[in-house]
Amino acid sequence: MKSFLYKIIKVRELSILILMVAYFLFVGSINSQFTNSNTIVLLVNGSIILLVMAIGQSFVLLTANIDVSIGSIMGLSAAVCGTLLASGANLGVVVFSVICVGAVIGFVNGIGVSYLKIPAIIMTLGMLGVVRGLMLLYTKGMWIENIPNYYKKIARIEILSIPFPVWIGVFLVLIAYLFLTKTKFGRYFYAVGDNTDGAQLLGLPVNTVKVLAFILSGLSAAIAGLIFVMNIGFVSNQTGSGMELQVIAAAVLGGVALTGGMGSVIGAGLGAIFFTVINSSLVFMKIPAYWNSAISGLLLILIVVGDSRFQKYLKERSRQNQKNSLGENDREKQSKAIP
Amino acid sequence: MSEEYLLEIEDLHKQFNGNHVLSGINFTLKKGEIYAVVGGNGAGKSTLMKIITGLYKADSGEMEISGKRVRFANPNDAHKNGIYLVPQEPLVFPNMTIEENITMGLKGIGKPKELRKKILQVINRVGWSIDISRLGLTLSIAEQQLVEILRGLVREAQILILDEPTSTLTHNEIDSLFDTIRQLSDNGIGIIYITHRFSEIFELSHSVAVLRDGKISAQGPISEFSYKRLLDGLVPTNEQPSNNITQKKSVIQSSIEQIGATVLEIDSLCGNKFQDISFSLREGEILGIAGVVGAGRTELAEAICGIKKFNSGTIKLNGKRIKNLSIRKVMDLGLAYVPEDRHAHGIFNITSVRKNITSTILNRLNGLFIPITKENEITKKYVNDLKIKAEGTNQELSDLSGGNQQKVVLAKYLATEPKVIILDEPTRGIDASARADIYRIINQLKERGLAVLLISSDTEEIVELSDRVLVMQEGKINKEIEKEKLTVDNITSAAFGVKKDVIS
Repeated sequence: MKSFLYKIIKVRELSILILMVAYFLFVGSINSQFTNSNTIVLLVNGSIILLVMAIGQSFVLLTANIDVSIGSIMGLSAAVCGTLLASGANLGVVVFSVICVGAVIGFVNGIGVSYLKIPAIIMTLGMLGVVRGLMLLYTKGMWIENIPNYYKKIARIEILSIPFPVWIGVFLVLIAYLFLTKTKFGRYFYAVGDNTDGAQLLGLPVNTVKVLAFILSGLSAAIAGLIFVMNIGFVSNQTGSGMELQVIAAAVLGGVALTGGMGSVIGAGLGAIFFTVINSSLVFMKIPAYWNSAISGLLLILIVVGDSRFQKYLKERSRQNQKNSLGENDREKQSKAIP
Repeated sequence: MSEEYLLEIEDLHKQFNGNHVLSGINFTLKKGEIYAVVGGNGAGKSTLMKIITGLYKADSGEMEISGKRVRFANPNDAHKNGIYLVPQEPLVFPNMTIEENITMGLKGIGKPKELRKKILQVINRVGWSIDISRLGLTLSIAEQQLVEILRGLVREAQILILDEPTSTLTHNEIDSLFDTIRQLSDNGIGIIYITHRFSEIFELSHSVAVLRDGKISAQGPISEFSYKRLLDGLVPTNEQPSNNITQKKSVIQSSIEQIGATVLEIDSLCGNKFQDISFSLREGEILGIAGVVGAGRTELAEAICGIKKFNSGTIKLNGKRIKNLSIRKVMDLGLAYVPEDRHAHGIFNITSVRKNITSTILNRLNGLFIPITKENEITKKYVNDLKIKAEGTNQELSDLSGGNQQKVVLAKYLATEPKVIILDEPTRGIDASARADIYRIINQLKERGLAVLLISSDTEEIVELSDRVLVMQEGKINKEIEKEKLTVDNITSAAFGVKKDVIS
């Protein structure tokens, strides 16, 4: 029984998956169009930008920090991608430059948080503004529209009738998952967020881990920018604004704890899909669009609170079980000690 | 130099911003030796340990491990050389299993299976039984400490540093920890044992070093030491508190004269963690409440002063029943509770001494604005009375030492001018000289006719201060001991439920 409860805690992605399927069937029972395979592929495809960024955000959240600058990073990345493509640059050069943009901004965030000890929320909130400003300066506030067709077509390439961006998402989730769970360095992210002082004392490279987390977050936002241009085909000057909160919401929905040390990228990915599902489902239930934000926000609170209560209950129970068995041992010891 | 020493430190110096924190430390540790290190707060103990474990670098001086000259850049270097520090507050990862906690950060040692085998071997060697798949958050503090020790042993540590390991443990746990330490010492591991408690030094260690103001003021094998010599090393002779024995005698005499009318009456009080508690407390009396951690003492105190609800029974303060009153009302009626956890409940960390002291009586300082002169007067009075060492009344609490913080907490509650004061672990985690000050203050309160309820896990403290002692065990009062029969043994046996006098 004890080990069974443990397993549920370990596989907490399961509870979010079950919830998502239940919600899916619920909306499907109102409007059967929601559950047909086309809609599903469309929903997953629509969630990829959120999903990619949620992966990057998970690294930062695991170390008990937060990165709210990613909306702007995605916007700037998309703008750089758009202008380079429009100027006829080679695809390799474009991808490389965009990725550099994300990594460098992430690096600056990381240095600020780990070495200069600036609280992550301040550092990245400032960076959110700075990068948004840079984007406007860079594009002079103009939309970028003349994206070459070959690039837009990449989004429509289908492998096994699944669109290319979805494959990128799947690939990134797998890589991140393997890195975090199967390598020693990956485990450090959990350790740093779980108990920073403890990690320091064990000689773990705490600062390096934090910097890397922010670099990965910036990188993920850059990749999201690349996918955005591919999917949408133009870059407005508001691209990516407000995304940071959606990403954090998605990660939390998937069970990544804001307090650090807990969660997985698979959970974060599922959270991103679930978040998109909730947002799109309202249309299928024929609820007027004005209700959208209010209802999806409310659902987010309900689901996250419900899930965390449930997890807490499970943990309490397993703790209780162990206390009971422990107490008996102690009593035995005591009765032995007294002749 | 010789190789018989595990660790040899010679003429170590360290400064912070021009302050000499360590000046000329010489120290050696042999195989299997248990070396106790004592010293007041700020004496340089933790700086020395941080240098040994590579968290700080020394300004000058030599360090040798088994005859080899070393210099550490970070904790990893220290681990490689077989040094491991078990911190005062164990630093386990709550969301990881014991196994993950132990292996985290290990480098280049075999496959998970071999590692697990090694961990189990080490656990076997020291004779513990613990399930290594349990999560960190399910462990008691004692178990967390075991995990820390395991971490060190799996890293093949030859030198273990234990930083006040018993400060948060219960009696039973301390005994089994001592067994473990002795076992480790039998296995040839050198142990540096940092503590505030003299009795532990004599019980456990082979050698002792006393640190004062960055220097070792006394050092040598334990056989050469007495309580007196330890205290001499710790406190400069001119500042020593007056001789305890004469003080005690005078207290006994005065106590007979001064105990007055009953102010607090508890009758068959029942709550969640305690049942059927009855006692009364009189003016000028110090009533000690002893017992092991978890016996329900703090819960009782919290129920008396209205923080927690109780189920049945009565509390009478000055003959008036108090029930369902707000904490403020209870305080206004003359009952103050000084909480056990200074950091969580006692102090406002980032505000001034003055604002801390007057925080309890803001509602009594009349006027549209807080009357500054009156506030200053009150603050000065308590700073002088309790000898709080601070750079003026505007200094932030976070800059004060633990002992002075505790005095501020006391001042804050004394400012409410209580008739009854409940002190919950008043000297936890503060150094010997601050402790003597607190004892002096408590005795002064008694002389002024306050009724004091003293809750403490430090049995010696209870014996030293109390006029009468109630011993609690599993939520019930197990025994009441009068002043004449007050000994550490009597209290301890009652706290663990042993009926000694029945047996003998």
